Amino acid sequence: MKPNNDSRAKRALRFIGPRLFQFVFVIWAAYTLTFLLLHLLPGDPLIAALSVKGGDATPTDPDELRELRARYGLDGSMWDQYVTNGLAALRGDLGVSIATGQNVGDMIARALPNTAIVAILALVIGVTVSMVITYWAFVARRSWLRNSLLQIPPLGVAIPAFFSGLVLVSVFAYGLGLLPSSGSRNPLSPILPAVTLAMPVGAIFFQVFSAAVLEARASSYVFTAIAKGVSLPLLFFRHVLRNALLPSITILGLLIGYLAGGTAVVESVFSRDGIGRLTVDAVLARDGNVVQGVVLVVAVVYSVVNLLVDLSYGLIDPRIRPAGRRRVRAAHDAAVVAS
Amino acid sequence: MTNPSHRLRRALAPIGAVAALSLLAACSSGGGATTDSGSQDMTSARDTLIFAIKEDPTCIDPQQTTLTTSLNIGRQVVDSLVDQNAETGEIVPWLASEYTANDELTSFDFTLRDGVTFSDGSALTSDTVKANFDALFALGRTASLASQYLAGYTDTTVVDDTHFTVNFSAPNVVFLQGASTMTLGIVAGASATASPEERCTTGVIGSGPFTFTSYTPNDSVVISAREGYGWPSELRQHTGDALVKTIEFPVITENGNRTGGLESGEYDIIQDVPYIDAARFESGDFQLFSKANTGVPNGLIPNLKHSSVVADPAVRKAIQLATDREEIRDLTGAPGSEAASSALTSSTTGFVSQADALATDVDAAAKGLEAAGWKLGSDGIREKNGQKLTFTVTAFYAQDVLEVAQMQLKKVGIDMQINITDAGGFFGAISSGDYDFLAAALTRTDPDALRTVFSQAAASKWAIIDDPALESVLIEQSTLNDTEARMALVAEAQKLIIENGDFIPLLETVQLHGASSAIQGFEFDSASRIQLYDVRATS
Repeated sequence: MKPNNDSRAKRALRFIGPRLFQFVFVIWAAYTLTFLLLHLLPGDPLIAALSVKGGDATPTDPDELRELRARYGLDGSMWDQYVTNGLAALRGDLGVSIATGQNVGDMIARALPNTAIVAILALVIGVTVSMVITYWAFVARRSWLRNSLLQIPPLGVAIPAFFSGLVLVSVFAYGLGLLPSSGSRNPLSPILPAVTLAMPVGAIFFQVFSAAVLEARASSYVFTAIAKGVSLPLLFFRHVLRNALLPSITILGLLIGYLAGGTAVVESVFSRDGIGRLTVDAVLARDGNVVQGVVLVVAVVYSVVNLLVDLSYGLIDPRIRPAGRRRVRAAHDAAVVAS
Repeated sequence: MTNPSHRLRRALAPIGAVAALSLLAACSSGGGATTDSGSQDMTSARDTLIFAIKEDPTCIDPQQTTLTTSLNIGRQVVDSLVDQNAETGEIVPWLASEYTANDELTSFDFTLRDGVTFSDGSALTSDTVKANFDALFALGRTASLASQYLAGYTDTTVVDDTHFTVNFSAPNVVFLQGASTMTLGIVAGASATASPEERCTTGVIGSGPFTFTSYTPNDSVVISAREGYGWPSELRQHTGDALVKTIEFPVITENGNRTGGLESGEYDIIQDVPYIDAARFESGDFQLFSKANTGVPNGLIPNLKHSSVVADPAVRKAIQLATDREEIRDLTGAPGSEAASSALTSSTTGFVSQADALATDVDAAAKGLEAAGWKLGSDGIREKNGQKLTFTVTAFYAQDVLEVAQMQLKKVGIDMQINITDAGGFFGAISSGDYDFLAAALTRTDPDALRTVFSQAAASKWAIIDDPALESVLIEQSTLNDTEARMALVAEAQKLIIENGDFIPLLETVQLHGASSAIQGFEFDSASRIQLYDVRATS
């Protein structure tokens, strides 16, 4: 019993180990790259951040600036700052924003839920709509109908969010008065931003998902199933969906990165508080600690999601599981021997 | 025996006259901000008003912030020692019933009115005021506006609960006017001793008609009326509690969201209507409130030490003559606003128009350049001894204004390059002295703004010029208690600045806010900030 247990733990480690290493690497690389970029930008980050609060009375006296630089920990060598900030971030301390004087951790904690609700809603809407359209296309008997349905989602990528967002606001907020146009005070306020964001996100998901479904439609097992008289809806949900899910889940993981960028546009168009606008404001104010903090948090979220995606492959497709892979190989060998 | 406060008021009367004249000129449109209260209904049909603001206030402590958005909200929460009539410039009592300054402007005596309490129940005493000024001065440049109003502050001597004296080591000409702003608004002892960061995020406890209810950064600020308020200044239209119970300030950064929200009725009042959208709100359903920022208008501020081209007085004179401020106003300014015509804006106390000296004359500009040896080159740009007539303007806003000026200067063979940077780049350039011209405005209530921009002794170091006559005038006006004599010097300074080409005014920036026609009682104070104590909605 024991050696078997041991080898199972080892197998699990061999499966998870590289993925964990990748996880840590992505976060370290994100931290290092942002740090370098922020320090390579021309101009003085201290003055840029101070001017947010200082306006036309921003201090410019070199002595005074030297004193302030020491106060915000911007006076050491680049290497010192890199190590100190990195260690602090490991402890969960993201520092203080120079521009606002607020704790960066608090700022992100405040903005994150606003963004998360829009992003999740957008994903749900995008994924649901693309699945529905793909299903219709799958069961459609006429090819012109199928082709027309398949042409709808690419529109979502073609129309930029700042345009579709404004159209939605004009119609549903100013025209019909059904939904709030902007801000995050009203509980209904995430709807329009989420719909706006769902268009490109859903379209990208659709491209991958529908391609996988249609590829399956042409494969031999579907042909066999149809020949055996399995109805199209049953075929779709029982057989094709599971096979098409694998590439789609991969693209979902990658879409998290897209969502982080997309929310910046949507949050600006809808004047919403959130991670995207926080980042835009921080970049404009050259507020290094905030940019660094946001990038770290987004990198962690991105890595966690992709780790989960990696692990979920095993659940969806037994061939990918280490144990499953062995079993598949055994079955394959057996089949070869039998033949 | 004369009442000291009346003596001071009499002394300040000439400022009033000048300011009133300039305001009459300024109010050709949109001046309907102040409405006659005579027979008006002083109740509000609605308890909650929504006032969309254009940016996150970042720090809601009115003493520390310099952001107009935040100052506008802070104004509702704190009262000041004195108030200033926006139309006449006259200083009137508010929390202080009497006040007087010594001739050297180094000490100011105040008498507090009785019965004032803060919203935490504590009473206003001389000690509270002392704690305020001591804490604020100790903040130094963290509170950059306050540190300018309190320049040279030594201490506050408390005589008794209602009498105290504020002392300065050097003449401080801006203190009394500064004391009318929310920047020197008085907060409760508990707030005066709180940390600056805490005050920024949770707000301050004031004696004003409203109190902070909540501040969610990047999202909204909510203020609520306080019960039992009874000490507005005489400039307000009513007494007692504020007329609405709650004012919400959602942060709506996108211009289109604010204007659209006003049209659809989502917002009652919006801050900063883009000038280009103003025409949409000129129908009967809406109203616009506009007032020029006080201080130095947007214009070109030279650095003579950086560029030999800029150091040539003939070049600066030619730039003045070749720029057409009327056209700049028409193309980029608020409808109905004044064209810039001096080193101060038309809404600033002590403004004297230099329009005659600044009248656009392209031929005279070209002639002046020819006489100074700047000949037209084959590419349409003038040159002298192989040196092109070119320079760079560093700015971080109002690119459109500069583009119009660039076009106008091109016509006389002047090549103006525009360097639009961010605020960090702009103040970084000032810090290192690396610029030919700056393009910016400086918003201050007092004409002493001239000293901040143009004096070589000022800490701000914006204009780098060589004008000893102007320097002495600027320094002297800052030491005079005699208002009439001081305003004569302020007028002299404006004349010198334009004559010597120390400044090329371009545009007066106007605060332009919009509201539905149901809103009444919206008023600007003397610094073009907003008073909402009288604001109300008709049914």
